[in-house]
Amino acid sequence: MIKIKDLEKIYRTEEVETIALNKLSMEVKDGEFVAVMGPSGCGKSTLLNILGLLDDPDAGSFIFNGIEVAKFNERKRADLRKHNIGFVFQSFNLIDELTVFENVELPLIYTGVKSSERKKRVDEVLDKVQIMHRRNHYPQQLSGGQQQRVAVARAVVNKPKLILADEPTGNLDSHNGNEVMEMLTDLNEQGTTIVMVTHSEHDARYSHRIIRMLDGQTVLENIMV
Amino acid sequence: MIRNYFKIAVRNLWKNKGFSAINIAGLAIGLACFILIALFVMDELSYDRFYPDADRIYRVDADIKFGGNNLNLTVSSDPMGPVLKKDYPQVEEYTRIYASEGSKLVRKGNEYINEEKIVYADSTFFNIFPQKVVSGETKTALFEPNTVVISETAAKKYFSTVDAAGKTIDIDKKPFKVTAVIKDMPHNSHFHFDFIMSMKNVEYDWNNFLSHNFHTYILLKKGTDYHAFEKNFTQVLDNYVLPQAKQFMTGLNSMDDFRKSGNKLDYSLMPLTKIHLYSHRFPELEANSNIQFVYIFSAVALFILLIACINFMNLSTARSVNRAKEVGIRKVLGTGKKNLIAQFLSESALMAFISLLLALVLTYFTLPLFNNIAAKSMSAGSIFSSSFLPFLIALPVIVGLLAGLYPAFFLSRFKPIAVLKGKINAGFKKNTLRSGLVVFQFFTSIVLIIGTIIVYQQLHFIQNTNLGFTKDQVLIIDDAYALNKNDEVFKNAVLQLPGVKSGTMSGYLPVNSSRTDNTYSREAVMDPKNALSMQSWIVDYDYINTLGMKIIKGRDFSKDFGTDSNAVILNETAAKVLGYEDPVGKKLFRQSPDGKTTSYTIIGIVKDFHFESLRQNIYPLGLMLGHSNSIISFKIATANIKPLIQQIQNKWKALAPGMPFSYRFMDDAFNNMYRAEQRVEKVAITFAILAIIIACLGLFGLVTYMAEQRTKEIGVRKVLGASVPNLVAMLSKDFMKLVAIASVIAFPVAWWGMHTWLQDFAYRISIEWWVFALAAFIALLIALLTVSVQAIKAAMANPVKSLRTE
Repeated sequence: MIKIKDLEKIYRTEEVETIALNKLSMEVKDGEFVAVMGPSGCGKSTLLNILGLLDDPDAGSFIFNGIEVAKFNERKRADLRKHNIGFVFQSFNLIDELTVFENVELPLIYTGVKSSERKKRVDEVLDKVQIMHRRNHYPQQLSGGQQQRVAVARAVVNKPKLILADEPTGNLDSHNGNEVMEMLTDLNEQGTTIVMVTHSEHDARYSHRIIRMLDGQTVLENIMV
Repeated sequence: MIRNYFKIAVRNLWKNKGFSAINIAGLAIGLACFILIALFVMDELSYDRFYPDADRIYRVDADIKFGGNNLNLTVSSDPMGPVLKKDYPQVEEYTRIYASEGSKLVRKGNEYINEEKIVYADSTFFNIFPQKVVSGETKTALFEPNTVVISETAAKKYFSTVDAAGKTIDIDKKPFKVTAVIKDMPHNSHFHFDFIMSMKNVEYDWNNFLSHNFHTYILLKKGTDYHAFEKNFTQVLDNYVLPQAKQFMTGLNSMDDFRKSGNKLDYSLMPLTKIHLYSHRFPELEANSNIQFVYIFSAVALFILLIACINFMNLSTARSVNRAKEVGIRKVLGTGKKNLIAQFLSESALMAFISLLLALVLTYFTLPLFNNIAAKSMSAGSIFSSSFLPFLIALPVIVGLLAGLYPAFFLSRFKPIAVLKGKINAGFKKNTLRSGLVVFQFFTSIVLIIGTIIVYQQLHFIQNTNLGFTKDQVLIIDDAYALNKNDEVFKNAVLQLPGVKSGTMSGYLPVNSSRTDNTYSREAVMDPKNALSMQSWIVDYDYINTLGMKIIKGRDFSKDFGTDSNAVILNETAAKVLGYEDPVGKKLFRQSPDGKTTSYTIIGIVKDFHFESLRQNIYPLGLMLGHSNSIISFKIATANIKPLIQQIQNKWKALAPGMPFSYRFMDDAFNNMYRAEQRVEKVAITFAILAIIIACLGLFGLVTYMAEQRTKEIGVRKVLGASVPNLVAMLSKDFMKLVAIASVIAFPVAWWGMHTWLQDFAYRISIEWWVFALAAFIALLIALLTVSVQAIKAAMANPVKSLRTE
């Protein structure tokens, strides 16, 4: 699914040059569940952004689903992204002005799914994450765990091949955190590839493989049994 | 503490250079517009107030309706002033100005110069209108005949010194003794004379209550109510006017009889200080302004200032939200609410002050331009005049307070923890106040756009309306009487020149000038019912032909008929007043004051043509054959006008040596009648554009702010696959709604305003719906352009950045 080689990303401000990714290489196979760990500033988030086609690398190769995408322009990336990748964020990133239903519906609108089909699919996925009863509520009216379930629902409604999760349990208590992790595991078992950035060794144990990063490079890989 | 505020304020200004520039520039432009218009309005309101007794001076006006004519005059009869002073103790003094003779030739060496600012006045003129004396004295200056008081400008022009009292000057070939030289009259006077000659030199059929030719001013005693005094005019009419009128009209026994037959003769008083703005009568000594302009401009000034303040407020608020973190930290460190409010207020006051300085610089440099458009001569110094200065100082303080208040209270209210965590967005997006302000800005812009389009249309209509004569390619030679007996020779000589098609010599042309009416009647004996009051113009055989008028009944004057010297051609209106089915061949009578009756035969009817401004209806007019050589007009057909004029001038010089040659084009003379409207048009367009620019600046700032507020949302949507057009549409939609609401409110207001303005014109356009549609479209387009620039920027931003700020 993902094959990257010698990936480089450098952030420059007027005075400081920060190397976020330093000739990083890695591979994620179809159906894998990979956790990325490492201290703050090691480049985890940068890696995730590039994997999610939100950002482009300065050098190196990134093959997504057999296509070289490192040099893709914004529009091509966006197109590939909205059909193939779902995102789950630490801070949920739900839109406050939209209801639960409308939030989950958004990706379908942007991929041009018809209204009746959208309704069916949103209800289906809301049912799956057990939030159906709150479909007409606004995000502020929900608990953190409920909000993250909505965010997961939004990430999967388009049936993406890859889900990228950035510390999905970071803002949740352990009970709600475990629930979300169970959901991700379920999705993975149904065939979705997952790459998750986390600080939590506990969460990382849900994955098949842990990639540990330091200073923009992978330093260690643990294969989980 | 204050130093710390100031330091942070300056650094903040500098850090957000673009933002500060927009904010300061917007307010500066707004303030500059406001100051310019305020200067204009103050100048308009200051007219004639410099005379010490200004509040007690009144002009005697007459309203006459007689024989199909309806006149609102600034003049009254010659005995009116003396009678008022004799019979009514409330009248302290009177003075009359006689300006009916128009321009005169004044000799300088061997040359004659045509002077226009030349009148006769009673010796009491200077008691009512005291002038600053440069040399000589004005108390008895006009007491003797053949005396003249001249202005400083005239003294320098003719004597090369201001010390000209006692010298002699030649006016219309008569020697006058200069008894005083006065300073040029202030620009804000409703008259400006360079020569004031003694009234004793006027040759006139004196003591005639029925002829109105004198601008009469009276000075009322202190405490006299002028409205109450006006009631005395009934007495004057009964005691003096009626007895004279009876001699002319049979069957006239009382003023009531006169009124009952549909006529009118009323006198009223016009306060001196109101003349400039409220007097729209005839003949004015100089073109007046209009209180409407003062109202319109005041409203525009206030609107612009409001728009600018609103912008400033919106932008400051928007910017300060980005400083929420600073506020949070300050609060955590123990800064009180009061201190925070003080800080924000002092910052916005500082900005307002910088804007004011910039506005003053702008005003200074644009004042000459503004003077040019508004036909004023205001000086930059008057900005700092005693009455304006306190206002000027108060302005930035008020604006600063107004603009700073909202963000100050808004921000200082935050709980520090919430601010530091960045949770301040809720409730700030759907702000009705903010929406209201944007609606107001667009409301103003749309009203201004509609107003500008309609003023433009009306002026265009005037210039292109069918006047009933051809105004293009007509060259007018003024003061042709200077040619004396050579007038025909000159006319024929010019007619020989290539490019000259025809020529006519006449007293009047169909552009407005001072003219008088005479009274005619259907029967040989006049009574109020068969009277026809009309202008009669002395013309020659080529008049109708040269000016392209159309005979619709009967015939033009012709050399084939020996009897045409007693013929008259009427316009349609005159024919209608007379009421004949077929007027051609009928008679018309005129009694002269000495009792003689002359009869005329109507030989033709000319299609109505406009000979006054289009503000007025067409009144009765009769053309008579005769010799009047004040104007010679030539119809020309050449692209090469300059050499032709040179040739004409050469002929003039040969035939009228030493006499001033002056020419103009009929279409220019015509356009001069609408100069006031053209000025309003220019000023309106200028300020409409400025108002729109300022509104756009504000909108730009607001969208920037809104995009900033929605950064996270935009980022999320983008991650989920929203395209740039999706996002631009989303951001623009809200503003489009506001513009739509503004249009709905603006339409009736603009319609009412422009409808009222158009009532001033007897001939006017009708207001069309597409003007409104166009204005709304322009506003929408401008809003869209402004919004989309920012929206595209926000939509194009990398979502990674916006999401990372979490």
